[in-house]
Amino acid sequence: MADRKAELERKKLKLEQMRKEREEKNRQRKVKEGGEEKKVAPTSSGQSQDLRAQTDELLSSLGIPPASGNDSQAVVQPVKETVGPNEGAPATSAVTTQQASRRKAKLTVTKVGETNIPPRENVTYSKETQTIVVDTTEKEGKVWFSFIAAGTPSIGASSRLSSPRHSNSSPHHGSPRFTHHDMEWEDEFEFYDEDEDTDSIDVHPAPTHHKMPHVENVHPTLTQEDIQKQEEKPSAPATKDSPVTMVKKVIELSEEEKKQIMMTEEFQTFFNKTTRVVERALDEEIDIFVDYAGGESEDMESDLRAGERLKLQRNFFDERWSKHRTVTSLDWSKQHPELLVASYNANEDSPNDPDGVTLIWNSKFKKTTPEYVFHCQSPVMSSCFAEFHPNLVVGGTYSGQIVLWDNRVNKRTPIQRTPLSAAAHTHPVYCINVVGTQNAHNLISVSTDGKMCSWSLDMLSQPQDSMELQHKQSKAVAVTCFSFLSGDVNNFVVGSEDCTVYTACRHGGKTGISEAFEGHMGPITGIDCHNVPGQIDFSPYFLTSSFDWTLKLWSIKDQKFLHSFEDNSDYVYDVQWSPIHPALFASVDGDGRLDLWNLNNETEVPTASVVAEGGVALNHCRWHGSGSSIAVGDDVGRIHIYDVAENTANPKMDEWSRFVRTLQELKQQAVEREEESSLGSVSMTSPLR
Amino acid sequence: MAEVEETFKRIQAHKGVIGVIVVNSEGIPIRSTLDNSTTVQYAGLISQLAAKARSTVRDIDPGNDLTFLRIRSKKHEIMVAPENEYLLIVIQNPDAV
Repeated sequence: MADRKAELERKKLKLEQMRKEREEKNRQRKVKEGGEEKKVAPTSSGQSQDLRAQTDELLSSLGIPPASGNDSQAVVQPVKETVGPNEGAPATSAVTTQQASRRKAKLTVTKVGETNIPPRENVTYSKETQTIVVDTTEKEGKVWFSFIAAGTPSIGASSRLSSPRHSNSSPHHGSPRFTHHDMEWEDEFEFYDEDEDTDSIDVHPAPTHHKMPHVENVHPTLTQEDIQKQEEKPSAPATKDSPVTMVKKVIELSEEEKKQIMMTEEFQTFFNKTTRVVERALDEEIDIFVDYAGGESEDMESDLRAGERLKLQRNFFDERWSKHRTVTSLDWSKQHPELLVASYNANEDSPNDPDGVTLIWNSKFKKTTPEYVFHCQSPVMSSCFAEFHPNLVVGGTYSGQIVLWDNRVNKRTPIQRTPLSAAAHTHPVYCINVVGTQNAHNLISVSTDGKMCSWSLDMLSQPQDSMELQHKQSKAVAVTCFSFLSGDVNNFVVGSEDCTVYTACRHGGKTGISEAFEGHMGPITGIDCHNVPGQIDFSPYFLTSSFDWTLKLWSIKDQKFLHSFEDNSDYVYDVQWSPIHPALFASVDGDGRLDLWNLNNETEVPTASVVAEGGVALNHCRWHGSGSSIAVGDDVGRIHIYDVAENTANPKMDEWSRFVRTLQELKQQAVEREEESSLGSVSMTSPLR
Repeated sequence: MAEVEETFKRIQAHKGVIGVIVVNSEGIPIRSTLDNSTTVQYAGLISQLAAKARSTVRDIDPGNDLTFLRIRSKKHEIMVAPENEYLLIVIQNPDAV
């Protein structure tokens, strides 16, 4: 061990020597030009000097000047012999002494060049991925197969063939993982490649890949159509860019395909929406290019008509759906005041059409077709918008079923129906209404057998509550119309076929019929409770219309009517208070007359009257929510919208107080009438005086 | 299906309407009331224009989208209503009132 250490020390010292010699040399080189030999390092150790001297002697004897060889010897010597610590210096001195003489052999210490050989990459063949790796730079070992992928565009019986498999190095052996690289094989392939390279002059990379004969799959037969499509497919993207050559893009779809497309749900939705929008756009007659400077405007006509109190604005009539049908009910929407729902009776002329039709009309646009068309199997007798559900329309039918339509769905048939069972209605439902508030509302329906049901709009399979309206022990009331008292969800009045009006109650102490009002001589067709908000509340008052050619004004508190309006000469079919004017109401009758009565002006005759054209009978009337127009429906399926002149429609400030006075007068008259009649009856019995 | 036909006829019968075309997203006419060459011409040109209009609108504001396109010319008015993947094109002569 000690020897080793000594050896190691020796080697270290030797290295130091070498370094120092190098440094000396460098210094010497620099100094050479000066030709100065400044440094004269102390001589090397005795032994080495001796040897040097000996050699010098030898050489000089031979005739060769003492030269350089010493340097290497000097280097060698210290390795062989143990050297002392002062060797470094002698080594350098040896260098310096030899420096001048030595010219030829120049031994330099060279740097050891390091070359890094990267580890061999093992290419494994894995079955999971067979991607096309076209690598023309690498030397491909072998390519076993190559298919030409014959890809034709989608239509056609083409199949994507398996992609070419390139292996980077080793051949496939069927084993999924071939990690070993048998050097033998590699050598083989390299050999092969070299041959290849030397032989082939062709620069084309492709042929170098194919060692095997070129295999190509047979193309599926391309029909004329397919070729056309192929040609056009590439041309199509091109033509999209170039505006000039677009005529080329004639991709035809067959009739079948077109029909199929038209059947799809998507197409139907698209068509519904866009045709609606386009129809509105088509009808607008706004001429933005009108030139007032050029010609004279012919709009003088509109001024003439301003004087009229009631003027016809437009008609709603649909050839397809409303012809030959009677309008059975009308209702304006509260959410979208321009929408009007109208329900229609059966069309005797076309038995194949559905019996019950409900149309939603839009009065904002000039288009003459309904916004939505709904139908069902039984004639719809009454309809209304579900007040708190803007998308739902409720209808009561002749069969007693209550149906629900939704305008969000593409269907025209009802999405929900009540069952035809004894729990629900079995008689025609003429009265239907949504009462309550946003959070607590019910659908109330009354049928002509006196049954009143209340429903929840979410579940029409079963009524929430049902009640028989009977008067005086099991005498069922045949209800034709009803109306809730203003702001009341509990109390309502009904008119019936037996010429009597009843008040009734839904909940509370006295449910069912409470009072009877007699006075009419014919079945009651329409009833309406006063509901104009104002300082003075007129809610106890209601109006009725009947087959006996009269309208009557009543108060809940009195058994006898307040006033009878006898201006009509035919059945009066409907009556309604104005929503904004406390003393104004409208009525329609079988002559086609629409009457506007203003009780503050005149109680005997209507203030304004107009006859609908066509000799029709008007079945129904409904004020628009704004109180400035009235919709009336007739018996041939036409709906007339009349505009009411402003001064007639809008109430002045004093209307309410005036109405109070009017009512008082009417009451007085009523009392007098009573007295007269009672007197008259008394006088009848007594002998003539 | 019959409703679609009915609606088609109704729009076609509207005063001043010259033609109605339904085109799909690739510009291929599905239904038309005009002759073939005119249909193809309109279909190709209008669908390109509608696509350009839509991309313009969306470029200006990515949250926006094209809802209706109206081209008023001296002789006609072309109304284009895009929806889902289809396009409804109606050519009207607005002076024929």
